[in-house]
Amino acid sequence: MMKILTLLLFAMSSLFSLTNYEAAQKSEAVMSGFEDATSQMQMTLVNARGQEKTRTMKMQVLEGKDEDKSLMEFLTPADVKGTKFLSYEHIDKDDDQWMYLPALKRVKRISSKNKSGAFMGSEFSYEDLSAFNVKKYTYADKLDEVIVDGVAMYKGESKPVSKYSGYTKLITWMDAQTFLIHKVEYYDRKKKLLKTAYFEDYKNYGDVYRIGKITMKNIQNDKTTILVWSNEKIKTGLKAKDFHKRYLKK
Amino acid sequence: MRLFFTLMVSPLILLADLEVSGHLDLDSQVYLSAPTSKHKNSFTAKQTLELGYSRDNLNIFTKLYAQEDYYDTLTQEEHNDRTFIRADELYLKYDFSDDSVKLGKSIEFWGALEFRNIVDAFNPDDFRVDMFNTSKLGVWNLAYSHFTENGEFSLIVKLNEPDQKMPASPYVYYFLPEGIAYEKSLESSDGTQRPSLYLKYSGTTDSEYPLDYAFIYENGYDSQRYFTTNATAISAPTEFRQKAYLVNKFMTYNTLVVDATLIKLEALYVKVDGQENVGDYSHIAFGVEHTLENFENGAALGLIAEYYRYDTYEDDKYSDLELFETMQNDIFIGARYTFNNEEDSSIVGGVVADTEYAEQTYYMQFESRFMEEFKVAFDYYYVNPSQSTLTAYKLLGKHQRVGLNVAWYF
Repeated sequence: MMKILTLLLFAMSSLFSLTNYEAAQKSEAVMSGFEDATSQMQMTLVNARGQEKTRTMKMQVLEGKDEDKSLMEFLTPADVKGTKFLSYEHIDKDDDQWMYLPALKRVKRISSKNKSGAFMGSEFSYEDLSAFNVKKYTYADKLDEVIVDGVAMYKGESKPVSKYSGYTKLITWMDAQTFLIHKVEYYDRKKKLLKTAYFEDYKNYGDVYRIGKITMKNIQNDKTTILVWSNEKIKTGLKAKDFHKRYLKK
Repeated sequence: MRLFFTLMVSPLILLADLEVSGHLDLDSQVYLSAPTSKHKNSFTAKQTLELGYSRDNLNIFTKLYAQEDYYDTLTQEEHNDRTFIRADELYLKYDFSDDSVKLGKSIEFWGALEFRNIVDAFNPDDFRVDMFNTSKLGVWNLAYSHFTENGEFSLIVKLNEPDQKMPASPYVYYFLPEGIAYEKSLESSDGTQRPSLYLKYSGTTDSEYPLDYAFIYENGYDSQRYFTTNATAISAPTEFRQKAYLVNKFMTYNTLVVDATLIKLEALYVKVDGQENVGDYSHIAFGVEHTLENFENGAALGLIAEYYRYDTYEDDKYSDLELFETMQNDIFIGARYTFNNEEDSSIVGGVVADTEYAEQTYYMQFESRFMEEFKVAFDYYYVNPSQSTLTAYKLLGKHQRVGLNVAWYF
């Protein structure tokens, strides 16, 4: 009965339908306001034969108005333990990125121009892992209302603003009630479907949601990468100075 | 009872915050071209152990390194004298809100370039380790740093100059002439306990093309050394010994990011303080690194070009040849192919061409992870030394080697 009511309300809501851009804004809004977050991230790489390899990382993120800062430390495999990756995201220019290599005690500057490079041999690219911001995309006017597994969803198309993006098009499905992203299809530079990401296990922290699990399936090479966040804490009081380059070497 | 409980529990609390990591390596090399008096191979076991303790703003860290050379275990063969244990780092660091203090033995890295970092002068190298793989000696120092929004100011006092030991002459990378012994105790103009002072300022610009910059001033012992001998007017030298001298040194290293290209500069100018053998000199190196992405399965190709120039300014004093400077007018062209696969495999290779003495070094290295906890690395080096000039590589002789390293990480 509830499901029928929800679908009925969803059908009625089309009378006051959103634009694609407005839906993206609402999606960004429900994920914003965490201020800062600390967590542990497990990345499972699954090859085409189903064999799995696991990497673990410690994450710190500072939410900015438009520009987030993040510090990631690799915990496993053992040969990369202590390697750190510091990123300052920017909307109007390339991100600032540095890598710390503990064996050499070296902080190395990294060019962030090419956003499509694979992250740690996974199916995620660096741009997949950067914070979602509506300004990074342009939006098609059309926003479809669809039902997926009995759940009302909005389906919209967007295109990356950056000419260095690895994608020509993204198709996004988001929950019509919560505006949380459910699925994204990524189309490569040849306009062919490259990857599909499934977003699950959202955690509700009252006024903000945080993602718990993303499964990225590469359609072209049959590999999959699963990211799972655990022990996440938000609003811990982290400041911009906690993302100073000094903490790469700490 | 309370005391007993405290004594029992305290170490457990400490252990809970203790991080242990390291690796065990088996390293083998075969020298396809080497002088007849040298061993034609080497087999070395290496161990690295790191212990770190962190609580709130306090960090205590130590790194131990040990290696055993196969020839040192034999009774019949001539030893390489490459078996030792070394404490590379042992320091205590305390972080304040905008400052930090560090005291102890540590290793620092300064530089931006790929093939050689001419400003990476804080720690001397250990000659007993493979010549083509840097192994730094930790030095005792006291450091204070103050951090601004985009930068860092540091005052570092190096408390001593360590001796650099040398392997025995049968080892292929003992580069002194046959029959000449090396005396390890460092000779210095004002004693090895004379502190060296470093002032360093580094930061990043918030511009369209961001620049990471660092400027360093040093008053103290130069990282460049020269050799003294026991030769007299009537006898040839039988012993070489390193000599350290005082300088005022100005160094900088910078990386400018322009789209997918990194433009790098390292430079130094040295004013030598009252030295009869070594005069003022400069060393400058410029490099470009451009990365191409989206090769097969997300692989990336980094293209690297670097140029090094070394100049002395007093003709009556030692030149680059007497000072064994190898990168005095050299071009490095290299490439790094990163497979971006689950095993983090990569191939690095290149050639260094000396444009003045017509000598070349070619190399290629491949490394990859296997079974999650192991790494394997292959390398190949070929050194074609100068035919006419007595350079450092000429002393080494025509050299060709292949190497295999297998390491277990924990």
